Amino acid sequence: MMESLTTSLQRVFGFDTFRTGQEAALTALEQGQDTLAILPTGAGKTLIYQLYGYRHPGCVLVISPLLSLMNDQVDRMRVTGFRRSAAINSLTSYVERQEILRHLGDYQFLFLSPEMLAQPQMLAQVQQLQLSLLVIDEAHCIVQWGPDFRPEYLLLGAIRSKLQQPLTLMLTATAGKTTRHEITKQLRTTPAIVAESVNRPNIFLDVENVADEPGKQVRLKSLVSQLQQPGVVYFSSKQQATDTALWLHQETGLKAAAYHAGLDSEDRFKIQQQFMAGQLDVICATSAFGMGIDKNNVRYVIHYHLPADLESYAQEIGRAGRDGKPSVAILLYAPGDEQLPLALGQSNRPDEETIQRYYAHPQQFSGDDPVIQLLAFYRQHGISQAAVTQMFTGRERERNRALAQMMAYARETHCLRERWLAAFDEQSPEHTVACCSPGNTPLNLNAVGLTRQQPMVTATTEREDWVARLQRLF
Amino acid sequence: MEAVDLLQVLDQKQPRRLRVIENLLRGRRTVSTLYWGQRYHLLPLLDADKHLDRRALTAPAQQLVANGLVTLDSEEDQLLLTSSGQQRQSAAYYQPQTSDDWLNLDLGAARQRILLAVQVTSQYAHSTNRYYPLATDLATRRVIRPWFHRMKGPQLAEMLAAAMIHSLQQLPVQTAEVMTDLLTGYEHPGLTIDQVASEQQQTAWEIQLRQRDGMTQIARDARQSDHPLHSLLQPLWRSPVTRSAQATLYAVERGGSLEHVAVQRHVKANTVKEHLLEAAILSPMAVFPYDQILPEHVRADFASALNGDIDSWQFAQLPEALRTRYDFFYFRLYAIWRGRGMTNDGVTDN
Repeated sequence: MMESLTTSLQRVFGFDTFRTGQEAALTALEQGQDTLAILPTGAGKTLIYQLYGYRHPGCVLVISPLLSLMNDQVDRMRVTGFRRSAAINSLTSYVERQEILRHLGDYQFLFLSPEMLAQPQMLAQVQQLQLSLLVIDEAHCIVQWGPDFRPEYLLLGAIRSKLQQPLTLMLTATAGKTTRHEITKQLRTTPAIVAESVNRPNIFLDVENVADEPGKQVRLKSLVSQLQQPGVVYFSSKQQATDTALWLHQETGLKAAAYHAGLDSEDRFKIQQQFMAGQLDVICATSAFGMGIDKNNVRYVIHYHLPADLESYAQEIGRAGRDGKPSVAILLYAPGDEQLPLALGQSNRPDEETIQRYYAHPQQFSGDDPVIQLLAFYRQHGISQAAVTQMFTGRERERNRALAQMMAYARETHCLRERWLAAFDEQSPEHTVACCSPGNTPLNLNAVGLTRQQPMVTATTEREDWVARLQRLF
Repeated sequence: MEAVDLLQVLDQKQPRRLRVIENLLRGRRTVSTLYWGQRYHLLPLLDADKHLDRRALTAPAQQLVANGLVTLDSEEDQLLLTSSGQQRQSAAYYQPQTSDDWLNLDLGAARQRILLAVQVTSQYAHSTNRYYPLATDLATRRVIRPWFHRMKGPQLAEMLAAAMIHSLQQLPVQTAEVMTDLLTGYEHPGLTIDQVASEQQQTAWEIQLRQRDGMTQIARDARQSDHPLHSLLQPLWRSPVTRSAQATLYAVERGGSLEHVAVQRHVKANTVKEHLLEAAILSPMAVFPYDQILPEHVRADFASALNGDIDSWQFAQLPEALRTRYDFFYFRLYAIWRGRGMTNDGVTDN
């Protein structure tokens, strides 16, 4: 008879008890049920498939969206002791890819991007494997990205069929009713749903209205100068993240660094490790930062730009206060901020006329344009002009609805938490002063208990010379 | 590269083409790029910034022009230092110490190997085996693993520390500081290039030059067979001449005519010529068979028509008789030969 889940947990990880949600998800999987697990950031989602992979022969295939983080994921697997892990995506060199493919059958955990899995040759190779479990990581990306960015996500349902409907685990930190429905529809399954409340009672919510961009900068500087550290400031633009990190460092002397997908792998590694080691006060990041960063004492998350939807927002503020201690999530809002997510949403969306012209004369269009690439993708997969038009119209409606929800949060005057949780079909606890301060209520950092107690010690400690520093490494 | 970095690779007398500098940094190995790279004495920078965007140097160049440090010709390509530009090429800017060897070392691979070997050894010295390894390519991981298993033991950390200190002590102190800050190891994630640059109040490019010096010096010292990194770094020394150009040169040296070699190697006649020019530019003078390919009488023919500033020579302006007798290849090869300080009477002129 198979050992109990708790025995396996003890044997592999040395823990006596599961965290909330882990056991329920594993139990459903053990019963052969496809499972959609909606567990807050930091709940230990990876452990679910690690433990399942340990208990069952064959390969756990993980479909993961973020190319730049996939190798980090594999490193983390190896550090936890799962050495037979590998990742293939568009960043993997040809030589390395060949090497992994030669030993494909030996891996216990295989990470692939949707684009990679959609390639017929790769799919043929994967079809030869004995899959114990298919994992769709960050499953909300199917909805967020599918139609107008990385459409390969939309093929996952068909691919899953070609793989003989393997047992499937869908993982996400946030998914409201619509998103849940869309995920299961795309993947053609009716899974068991394991959902924990998305509420994070220890995160104080705050929206601050500022007059304009300069006002926002002043407020940002004042906040990061007062707040307990460390913290994360999210931006929608890499350049602005980089510039602001430098500016904050110059203005406040804080140890600030930028993190975004444009960094090379060495810089990304170093910044991530510096942050984990407590050597940075604040990270200025884009949404590339966070997925998979295990740091539990982040005290604040500030949004400099308005996110496109509440799910992204919830995902990002979820990085604060994983240790359960008081933390704060601040959204800085200036009139007109909704224009940026609106424009970003439009930029990759063909209008009806373009769709029509493209379907009439596909050969007349240049393949360099990402919008045309998108249309070419659909056309090659036999999707009709009418269906594509309808899909993009529906997509735009959905985006607008999501942005309106985000805006309603920014403009909320009574209780931010209630507004937030309602979007995920959850009831909010009774509003108190310790819950949130909407835009019409000033933030009282002292009352929240998040003011930095001592001013930054700026005494310049004499640095050891390089020989001593180098010797200390060894 | 920022404006101040670009300033350092310009000259007051020799106009230098922005495109050449850009292509050199990006590692575009056309004969034209290599030839002018040599004329500008900038060949060590070949491949130094593979990810540089096209036209990324235009903005820094325009900034230099706006500050009156540089003039730009009407086609916005040829840059010349003004006298105030010359004065700004300050002595305080970092002068690399090891650039003679940059072309002969696979610096990218050396860098990855040194960084990972240091991290692995540092973690081992502190008895940790659960840590995130630096992201390196497969080739690097594949040589580090057996190296580590062969070398590990009570002495490894001490030996490696001593070897690193010995190498860095031969360089300016600030370079040793920079190198140390960039390393990753136990409880020391290491700083990024940008962080070091801001700490040292230098440009990121200057920090990279310092890092190239540090890595090259370590590789130089690792030529000793008892150096702990010997087996990792020794194989990375190589000729900058590509393999196919080397093969062409070898075939020509064995006495084939250029046409014959082209047939034999299944390449176009023009490719043979490009290979030879590449070899002439990138090989030491003594290695290239000038007397065979550019015999004395050919050199005399060119010498009668060409003098003065080599950079101003133009094939199109040669007397017609010469242009009929010799094609561009011989003209260019003669310029390379002269440019490297040779004259027919055996007197070197620079």
